[in-house]
Amino acid sequence: MISQYDWEGGREAMLRFGPDTGPVIVAALPLFEEANRTRAFVVSILRALAQRGVAGALPDMPGQGESCYPLEDATILKMQSAYEAAVESFDRDGRNCYGMAIRSGALLDHLGMIYGRWHLSPQGGAQLLRELTRMKQAEVGRDQKLGAHWYMDADVPTVAVAGNSLSTALLTDLSLKEPWQREDAPDIPHRIVRMESDAQPADLKVAGAPLWRRAEPDNDPALADLLADDIAEWVRACES
Amino acid sequence: MLPEGYETVQKTVRAVLRDTLGLSEERAAAFDSDTPLFGALPELDSMAVAGVLTELEDRLGIIIEDDEVDGEMLETFGALTRYAADKALT
Repeated sequence: MISQYDWEGGREAMLRFGPDTGPVIVAALPLFEEANRTRAFVVSILRALAQRGVAGALPDMPGQGESCYPLEDATILKMQSAYEAAVESFDRDGRNCYGMAIRSGALLDHLGMIYGRWHLSPQGGAQLLRELTRMKQAEVGRDQKLGAHWYMDADVPTVAVAGNSLSTALLTDLSLKEPWQREDAPDIPHRIVRMESDAQPADLKVAGAPLWRRAEPDNDPALADLLADDIAEWVRACES
Repeated sequence: MLPEGYETVQKTVRAVLRDTLGLSEERAAAFDSDTPLFGALPELDSMAVAGVLTELEDRLGIIIEDDEVDGEMLETFGALTRYAADKALT
């Protein structure tokens, strides 16, 4: 079902899945290009959760997806506020929200009444900024070498990276933002899942290809089912 | 003689190309050291190069400086594997 929610910057679309009662998984896609590469996959996970009796929602973030909000005016804080507003739209009805985020989506679920966070291969802002810099370098070619703070050298407040018009403020913001850390609130459940090929520590490692790296968007229904099993079990454990 | 661990690096480079470019298992398995990459694989455009390099960094725990990236390094599967092995095994 296509629903909507209001935040201080306007109204955004929100896909909703599953029952109208009980806990809700509020999903956050990665930022920018990786959102396109993982959207079908995340929707598959939310559909699979609905089949398992767990409700889910995928709110559009300001400047992302179908949002009318100009991306060049978006900041991480505004996206965090929008995510918080999406969570509140369920919290008002007495429903417990759980954050589910992929990659840099894990930068967005910091605010609001969230009873637990489930992160797939969370990515820090600095790493994302490094990738954006690498993409920009690929765009401008090897004759022009970009420094680490290339976006600050720009005369204009926005720069184009891989088809996205991003504010220099947002890029500066990224260099400082980190995914939610377990130490931030040890009492709030936080589960980290990573691909087997990823050497960093995780609560669960899964086999498969990282879809966010795919040059063209793709899906992995078998992995979506497996992750939905994990999330459903985790939420039930959190709720009990 | 190839350094110890070279085959592991080669396996990782092969898997990264397969996963990032969406190549079939058979196609990736058929890569040998002379298989041309950049300019020969239609999937490997300059944006995809960024994804390949970043995924290699993550999986091998290495840092690739962008000024080290040139046509030669990406010319063949063998050249890319040698570059990655130099970084990962020393």
